Amino acid sequence: MGEVILEMKDIDKTFPGVHALDHVSFDVRRGEVHALMGENGAGKSTLMKVLTGIYTKDSGTITYEGKEVEFHNAREAQAAGVVIVHQELNMVGHLTVAQNIFIGREFKKGFSIDDKKMVEESKKLFQKLNIDIDPSATMSDLTVGKQQMCEIAKAISHDAKVIVFDEPTAALTEAEIQDLFKIIRDLREQQLGIVYISHRMDEIKVITDRVTVMRDGTYVGTLITKDCTKDDIVNMMVGRVIYEEPKTKSMVAPDAPVVLKVEHLNAGKMVQDVSFELKKGEILGFSGLMGAGRTETARAIFGADPKESGEIYVNGQLVDIHSPQDAVKAGIGYLSEDRKRFGIVVQKTIAENTTMANLPEFMKGIFINKRKERKKAQELADSLATKTPSVDELVVNLSGGNQQKVVIAKWLCKNCDILIFDEPTRGIDVGAKNEIYKLMNKLASEGKSIIMISSEMTEILRMSDRIVVMCEGRKTGELMIEETTQEKIMSFATRDVG
Amino acid sequence: MTLKKIKENPVIKKLGFNRIVLTGVLILMYVVLCCSVDNFAGMPRIMSALNYAYFLGFLSLGVTFVIATGGIDFSIGPVMFCCALISGYCLTSHGIPMGVSLIISLLVGMLFGMFNGYLVAYQKVPPFIVSMASMNIAKGVASVFTKTQSVSWPQAAKGGWFRYLVKVDKVPVGIFVFLAIAIICSVLLNHTKAGRYMLSLGSNREAVRLSGVDVKKWEMLAYVICGVLVGIAAIYYVGAYTTVQPGYGDQYNNEAIAGCVMGGTSMAGGLASIGGTVIGVFIIALLQEGILALGFTKDYQLIITGIIVIAAVYADVMARRRKN
Repeated sequence: MGEVILEMKDIDKTFPGVHALDHVSFDVRRGEVHALMGENGAGKSTLMKVLTGIYTKDSGTITYEGKEVEFHNAREAQAAGVVIVHQELNMVGHLTVAQNIFIGREFKKGFSIDDKKMVEESKKLFQKLNIDIDPSATMSDLTVGKQQMCEIAKAISHDAKVIVFDEPTAALTEAEIQDLFKIIRDLREQQLGIVYISHRMDEIKVITDRVTVMRDGTYVGTLITKDCTKDDIVNMMVGRVIYEEPKTKSMVAPDAPVVLKVEHLNAGKMVQDVSFELKKGEILGFSGLMGAGRTETARAIFGADPKESGEIYVNGQLVDIHSPQDAVKAGIGYLSEDRKRFGIVVQKTIAENTTMANLPEFMKGIFINKRKERKKAQELADSLATKTPSVDELVVNLSGGNQQKVVIAKWLCKNCDILIFDEPTRGIDVGAKNEIYKLMNKLASEGKSIIMISSEMTEILRMSDRIVVMCEGRKTGELMIEETTQEKIMSFATRDVG
Repeated sequence: MTLKKIKENPVIKKLGFNRIVLTGVLILMYVVLCCSVDNFAGMPRIMSALNYAYFLGFLSLGVTFVIATGGIDFSIGPVMFCCALISGYCLTSHGIPMGVSLIISLLVGMLFGMFNGYLVAYQKVPPFIVSMASMNIAKGVASVFTKTQSVSWPQAAKGGWFRYLVKVDKVPVGIFVFLAIAIICSVLLNHTKAGRYMLSLGSNREAVRLSGVDVKKWEMLAYVICGVLVGIAAIYYVGAYTTVQPGYGDQYNNEAIAGCVMGGTSMAGGLASIGGTVIGVFIIALLQEGILALGFTKDYQLIITGIIVIAAVYADVMARRRKN
């Protein structure tokens, strides 16, 4: 670890009604990976946005390479060498890799763009980073992991001295994560200062040198990673111990009836001949790598995408599902991995979102009985412990965890007995995660049956009674929780299915 | 900060800050016009402005539903003319009774609404393209149907009783009809399943679909409601101006959309205010009357409404950006 390259001191920022940053200090040294952790809403993103000039700080100082600076926008920050690699990638799909990397500062040859030179320069960059990507490939043909490498290459090409990674591994496979870590280590070697934002505790332990924890807009503390345990960090984040052990045995009675039976489901390349059963009160984990076809399977069952063939039985009855309407009628609810796009209507209130799937129940003649609607929404918000001043609050104002609860409330309001949770805790902070887990366990114990798609091994091991593993569109294995090990899951998930 | 406090006031929040400002603008415009034009406050001017407000108002109410779903309809003006021409031709050249002719007007509007709505909701053709095309179809159909003749609707004394829907003696009945239908629209949009689904799908169509809602049906319904209101607009148009000619009507698209977006309905969908639309329409109608009274030509009206549309949409975009 070298000298401090970037120091933020006493940063204060207030939004109407929220003290987002309360005199927070944070520094990065040359040649270190510094983790920034905290629950959603703890102020990590706000702090990084203040750093890169997207927000203006109310007070405090930022010292960069020994000089006090104030960037007014991301472009200025970039020019000075402070770059963020965002969680959502900012790439233009139909351009080539090289064109994306040099977008906005293309090499010219007379009046025309010198694509050849851009490709050459990109090659040099990739060589420096030890990345194997063809610079003339079209961006949208690359995997998310490769696209992210391009984003990193782009950052480097700006002569970055400080790189902020904002949840870089959220959409990556295990192998891609290893590649990413290799690059990050290389960058550390080259004396760059790296800020690493992530919720994944395992990664923090592996890749970072120091950890700074924030909570509710305040600085909690900084630890040397190798001298602390996971529990130390988690305790700092939430102020209480929350980690639960993996499930050791199934909670489902052996004679529990089968509520959902899927046979020989086919839907494009991503869903090939998938069959499985779901029992009453069971949490059935769906494990696999990114792109294994788990979400596609769920969407085909739910009727969100068309299926080619296959039968679906609900409570022993063959049901014909062609649209989400049919699925909802059969008592199936789907909680998407992408809440903002597929789960909630952000400009509507909690109450309006809660009754979205079951509005006919809240009619009085042709009018919506808004009192009844609000009452039901309030009941559900109370039982799910949704944090909000009132159910008239717009969903856009809620945190990720609370938005997820609104989606759960929607399906509970419809009284669905089969719930498909697709990455139920993606983008949700540790404390809220735990609440969602408790909720799912409670629902299962009350007789709801749950399919849980998850890319987090710890989540799968902790929640599932039984586990289905998929790989490249096929079901490659099924394990009872008693016999499950991470190794077994991984061997199914990476099985060569030809 | 004080402006923010005013906006947070519960009474003002309920009435809508935007609508209060618009009402202020309307009153201010009226006062300025009264001061600068002789006899502007007199009955003839008021009646003239109201005549304009009626048909434009129904168009604007109609397009509010479509815009609420995140769509757009550029066919409303020509379709209104098409309604008036076909039903008027049935009345004057085929001897079809007045009552039936009026219903024909509504039906023609509804058919165009169904056509647009079906293509947009079920076939996923962009609403911009669909309505641009059906604008021309409406003009063509009307011309073919009437053999390119203009149609004049009868005066009240000669069996034209539909004019009593506009005014009886000096009583502007139309204003009551318009406000009554506006209230129905408002209830429909804010208190029924149809309105809830339209607004929600305008905001996030996929999330509503994945909640098991038949989004196609509700999206199409918005266009059908718009069509029926366009049919009503046609009746009020001929009630005020008697004669319609084939091949026109485009200029009212922009004015109707201007009234709607000025009133706080978001072009991005998901947000709509019927009350705002009503005030917006009155502003446009007063503007048109004022421009003529001040001795300017109709061209200035075109320029100003164009600017209003851009300004209103720009303000909406800025407001969204601030929120994000």
